[in-house]
Amino acid sequence: MTLGYVLRRILVSVPTVLLVVLMVFVAIHLVPGTVVDMMLGTQNYLTEEQIRQLYAQYGLDKPLIVQYFAWLKNTVSFNFGVSLRTGKPVLQLILDRLPVTLELAALSMVIALTLGIVFGVASAVKRNSFVDDIIKVFSLIGISSPAFWIGSIFIVLFSGLFTEFNIFGYVPINRDPLKNLQSMFLPSLTLGLMICAQIVRVTRASMLDVLRQEYIKTAMAKGVSRTALIFKHALKNALIPVVTVSGIQLGYLIGGTIVIENLFALPGLGRLLLQAVNERDYPVVQSIVLFVAIMIVALNILIDFVYTLLDPRVELK
Amino acid sequence: MKRLLVAVVLFASVVLLASGKLTIAVDVEPVGLDPHLVTAFASHRILENVYDGLLRFGENLELLPNLAESYEIPDPYTIVFRIRQNVKFHDGRPLTVEDVIFSFKRILDPETKSPAAAFYQDVDSIEAVDERTVKFKLKKPMASAILPNFAGVNSSIISKKFFESGKNLQLETNGTGPFYLAEYVAGNYIVLKKNPYYFVQGQPVLDEIKFVFMPEELSRVAALKNRDVDMAKISEPLNVRQFSADKYNIFKSATLSYYLIGINTTRKPFDDPRVRNALNYAINRDAIVKTVAFGEGVVTGPMHPSIKVWALPPEEFEEYKYNPAKAKELLAQAGYPSGFEFSIVTSARYNFDKVAQVIQAQLAQIGVKVNIDLVEWGIFIKRWRESDFDAFISMNSGSMEPDIQFYRHFKTGGSTNVFKFSNPRVDELLELGRSTVDTEKRKQIYSELQRLLVKESPVIFLYCANQFFVADKSVEGFKLLPNESLIFLRETYKK
Repeated sequence: MTLGYVLRRILVSVPTVLLVVLMVFVAIHLVPGTVVDMMLGTQNYLTEEQIRQLYAQYGLDKPLIVQYFAWLKNTVSFNFGVSLRTGKPVLQLILDRLPVTLELAALSMVIALTLGIVFGVASAVKRNSFVDDIIKVFSLIGISSPAFWIGSIFIVLFSGLFTEFNIFGYVPINRDPLKNLQSMFLPSLTLGLMICAQIVRVTRASMLDVLRQEYIKTAMAKGVSRTALIFKHALKNALIPVVTVSGIQLGYLIGGTIVIENLFALPGLGRLLLQAVNERDYPVVQSIVLFVAIMIVALNILIDFVYTLLDPRVELK
Repeated sequence: MKRLLVAVVLFASVVLLASGKLTIAVDVEPVGLDPHLVTAFASHRILENVYDGLLRFGENLELLPNLAESYEIPDPYTIVFRIRQNVKFHDGRPLTVEDVIFSFKRILDPETKSPAAAFYQDVDSIEAVDERTVKFKLKKPMASAILPNFAGVNSSIISKKFFESGKNLQLETNGTGPFYLAEYVAGNYIVLKKNPYYFVQGQPVLDEIKFVFMPEELSRVAALKNRDVDMAKISEPLNVRQFSADKYNIFKSATLSYYLIGINTTRKPFDDPRVRNALNYAINRDAIVKTVAFGEGVVTGPMHPSIKVWALPPEEFEEYKYNPAKAKELLAQAGYPSGFEFSIVTSARYNFDKVAQVIQAQLAQIGVKVNIDLVEWGIFIKRWRESDFDAFISMNSGSMEPDIQFYRHFKTGGSTNVFKFSNPRVDELLELGRSTVDTEKRKQIYSELQRLLVKESPVIFLYCANQFFVADKSVEGFKLLPNESLIFLRETYKK
């Protein structure tokens, strides 16, 4: 039953992923300036003939549709090609960078969910109090501030106040976990706060909604303790919209990593994507988008499972 | 005894100096590692410490022997290099004359598509005279003009055997330089380590240099303050002011790269040289240096004023004395008494957009309306290549050698003459300059050329900005070169 559901979801996702990749393929090729232009810059010494040869070497002299299907054919057989600028295999480039971005996304999500749910619940329980007002103001600031701005403020603050704290210098987690977490702290806090603001608001609204329901009053009348009432009876039911929003926020998170990885000099997928777009490194751009699209689809399927955990009435058919 | 003591102390201090690891934050990551192919500045900065050319630049960009221990120009058609003995590549193989010849054959092979091929297109033959001597025969008498190219990264000497063993030079390096590439984590850092075989005694001083890639200037400033790095490239003069001279060493130098307005000389009204010349009079360069570069730059003519051998100082050009009245007069003569409107294409990098805004305001004073067309860099390059602009603002790298500085930009049909500029006298002077050996005669030729270029104004030369590296107080021995090279890292040490 569930396996059937997953298979069906995967099948339905294939056209979505293909469409996303096609759109990105067309977009990056329609932007003026090719990889050859970027390589030569404005200090070009090559003859027209040599430039033509470079186009041929990269297969850019063929019609776009031919290029697309050639790429698709290779990709389906797990041949992601090589980067046009650095000559490195694309798959290796992506796999090298993926752990950084996954860690950043996971840590940000942990921070966002923890802070978001705690403050959201507090805000709902203490409705219209001073605490509620403060939380509302901060979540509004969080929603309206771009991540690069929050990140910049953190960098300036930390470099001025905590000179002993190493903001930069990423090392992989398996090499030095402590140093890794130190270099990941500010970037994940920045991204986490950005997403947290949204979660606070949804948690608050959803909690308020649940707290007004009859069964809560019944539980109260039966003498259930306040803590059990809030966390066991109310929160669990209030979490469904929070999970939905978190799923959507994951998409934003991937976008946010581009900015944050650049700012904090983290060697992740977002920074690779930005470089590749700037350099018009087509195979790298396309493959990263493919990876991200697949990741988001997979996460969405995962979120469906979380619904069943939260509410036994939900059934995956 | 006393002498012995001094010797011991000297030896000890050398040993103490000789250890050390330096971490440098740079803005851009290299794009590829093949010295004959790389075009990115960032790749040059790494590779110039890994590979050597036959010649190299000194502190004032004078040409010095390098892998060639000496060279001579017996006649304007011939250059003879005497190759240094006992030089080893990083893999331990000795450098031979064969490697030198192979390197230049590879550069000149059209299959390689090396940007350096254009430098050597007038080379007729390259041959080994004996086991230590290589002779270049030229088709044109331009031995002096071609010489500085031998110091460029794109003319590095590679190992023939290493290449022929099927190595991909974009991914693997094997040079003769002071450092070898020990580790490269894409998107994060590059580690260079001391080459134990390096042929210069006592160099490099450092054991290890780590280049960390940090695209955001804010991050580089913070990393330096927090001592996450020892040294950082800082681009904005305002950011440099955050570092006080008593706590940090501030390395500063002029650069040969110049900001320019490039003009499409075939589009109306710029097909009339008087209109282009009018812009030259109407632009106040000092104001641009003050507002955009916070005074950290110098106004430049067609060549950087510090290159005293060739450059005419900016004061010698009538056009450089800000004179809006004269500009209006020229416009009236050309038939535009009430001005005109045109657009400047530019991109938001290296402050091009800010330069454009100042120029927009300045030209408004003479009734010329400028529309700034701000585009992404890739789009800019495409429009630049196709001469799809009225005018553009950008930066060109400069050279000490007038032929390299001018020929390809201003010769009719030149490879970077996107201005579509054509002037018979300019063409004549360019050919004459590259084929004349006598320095005095060349000076006369290039003086006339510089005057003509300012008068004809296919390009409006603006200014050269200063460059900065800020380092911890313990970092010494480093020097910045006007061509932005980092070769002095081999003499850098930490106290």
